[in-house]
Amino acid sequence: MIPEEIMRQREQKHFRQVLLPLLLVGTFGASFLNVHAQEEVASAIRRYKDREASTGYYEAYEVRPQRSMPLVQIPGVQRGLFPYSPTSAQTRIRTRLTDSHLGIKFYNGRRCVDCHPEQARDIHTIRANLTCRQCHGGEPIASNEHYFSPMNPIRRHAYICAKCHPGASASYAAYIIHEPNPALAGTLKSFPVLAWAFWIMVAIAVGTFVLFLPHTLLWGIREIFMKKHGEAGNHGTDK
Amino acid sequence: MVPTNSQGIFRFTLVQRLFHAFLLVSFLIQAATGLGRMTMETGWGRGVLSIFGGYDASRDVHIFVGRLMLVVLLIHIIYLMTKVDWKHLPKSLWSQDSLVPRPADVRQFFQHLGWMLGMRKYPEFDRWGYWEKFDYWAVFWGMVVIGGTGLLMTYPFWSTGFMPGWGLNVAFWVHRIEAILAIAHVFIIHFFIAHLRRSSFPMDRAMFSGNAGLSLTRHERSAWVERLEADGGMNALMVPQDAGIVKTVHFVVGCTAVVIGLYLLIGAAISVFQITW
Ligand code: HEC
Ligand code: HEC
Ligand code: HEC
Repeated sequence: MIPEEIMRQREQKHFRQVLLPLLLVGTFGASFLNVHAQEEVASAIRRYKDREASTGYYEAYEVRPQRSMPLVQIPGVQRGLFPYSPTSAQTRIRTRLTDSHLGIKFYNGRRCVDCHPEQARDIHTIRANLTCRQCHGGEPIASNEHYFSPMNPIRRHAYICAKCHPGASASYAAYIIHEPNPALAGTLKSFPVLAWAFWIMVAIAVGTFVLFLPHTLLWGIREIFMKKHGEAGNHGTDK
Repeated sequence: MVPTNSQGIFRFTLVQRLFHAFLLVSFLIQAATGLGRMTMETGWGRGVLSIFGGYDASRDVHIFVGRLMLVVLLIHIIYLMTKVDWKHLPKSLWSQDSLVPRPADVRQFFQHLGWMLGMRKYPEFDRWGYWEKFDYWAVFWGMVVIGGTGLLMTYPFWSTGFMPGWGLNVAFWVHRIEAILAIAHVFIIHFFIAHLRRSSFPMDRAMFSGNAGLSLTRHERSAWVERLEADGGMNALMVPQDAGIVKTVHFVVGCTAVVIGLYLLIGAAISVFQITW
């Protein structure tokens, strides 16, 4: 029988000589591991539905994992030893790909906005702080028109929009998420109704101010030089 | 009784003043929540929104007050219907007491401009100046455009039932530009006319007290006063001008609205350069 006192001493010795050094080495070593990928949305405002019931924390990083295990592959993602050919980009219809980035070099490890700056200027990204993947999904990112893509307009309302807008209809999903800036010349071609509505409204606003700003200012100046009412002169006679 | 210059001439009923007071408060709330959400990327915008409980809560406030404004607009239209002189239609619509624009308003506008440039006599305005008629109908137009597009966005599933989803993109921009127009018009032009002009400085309290000083009105709206004196309607409209605490309260409320308005206007004008367009 070992007395309790000796037991406790042994435990403490064990902790000091083995566990503590291990813990220190571990903490030190862990700091060398690269556990950070670039974050997609740098803004700290808020992230909509960042915690989803299924996975806990919503996928915080939009880049592909930097290392992948050579023997553990996601079926369909591996594309052979030399997956890219210089001509592939020209021969594929990019809006019909299962993986819209097929054949695009230097895709791994980069942020979506590096290559798609125009798609990061909409209300969902800027204000609601959605991540691109909350709509476009995980790897591979299907082209919007691909037959099986959840983003295909025939099912977009159900597979994408209804996640956050329950009840979304196909017509609702025709909302243009990546709205072009209506003031730009290109919008007259890409979204003419928006451009026209914009310029008509701007014309009304500018017209109102061109009329009333100078009018009001002049009025104010003129009244400074007006004789005080109730005295001999009045609005009419003090010319 | 001969009216004295220290008396006031009755201009707005209590109901009319309540409509104005409602508009004053609701417009400021909509401007604050709307501009705040527009500039939510900036510290200023988030600061304004925090008063209403943050970005999401501000949307609820904006929608709630928006709906309320549309309800009050409906009530106002019903009120209008009770005020129309149906027996003498259509002549009564173009009477001097009506806010319906007349050709004379265009004439007076140019004469007024001429007076400002020192070329013409001051126009003989009747009860309503053209700028007052413009302000009144501008609210109608704004309510319809902003309220209409607001409804489309408040109930997107209903609205996309009869229009394609991209109609919401259009509604959003129409809503935004019309709102900016309304905000700038009220916070610059309306405030200037009611507060900064020499004859109303520091504040034209007629819309709060219900009456305007007789001596000022005699000069500003000479045709009205002459008409009243000619048809003997004058005495019925003479009221004592309020003083003391009531006057102070009106003054404080009016000037607070101006300060809030200018704060929103200037803050937003600076912030729009820092947001994503
Ligand atoms: C290396 C640059 C690059 C990066 C990084 C990148 N993309 Fe792309 N992406 C492209 C190019 C090039 C195309 C094909 C040309 C096109 O359709 O605009 C494309 C196409 C797409 C398409 C298909 C467009 C269509 O018409 O159907 C989507 C969706 C897309 N990208 C989303 C993303 C998302 C989300 C990310 C971040 C996870 C991302 N991209 C990262 C370059 C990039
Ligand atoms: C709210 C859902 C949503 C989010 C978030 C979103 N997208 Fe999209 N994206 C769409 C839809 C829907 C389309 C189809 C065209 C459209 O509506 O603009 C699209 C189209 C695209 C396209 C094709 C070109 C175009 O403009 O039509 C690219 C590229 C793209 N998205 C990239 C991105 C990137 C990068 C991000 C993140 C910064 C992102 N998207 C975030 C819904 C989204
Ligand atoms: C991950 C959640 C999410 C998804 C997926 C999503 N949305 Fe949204 N959406 C939001 C949030 C949050 C807002 C509120 C933004 C705000 O308050 O400004 C919003 C706002 C909107 C608005 C109102 C914009 C405005 O002008 O005020 C429309 C329209 C809309 N979404 C359409 C869509 C469509 C169409 C899709 C599918 C392609 C979609 N959304 C997918 C979260 C989402």
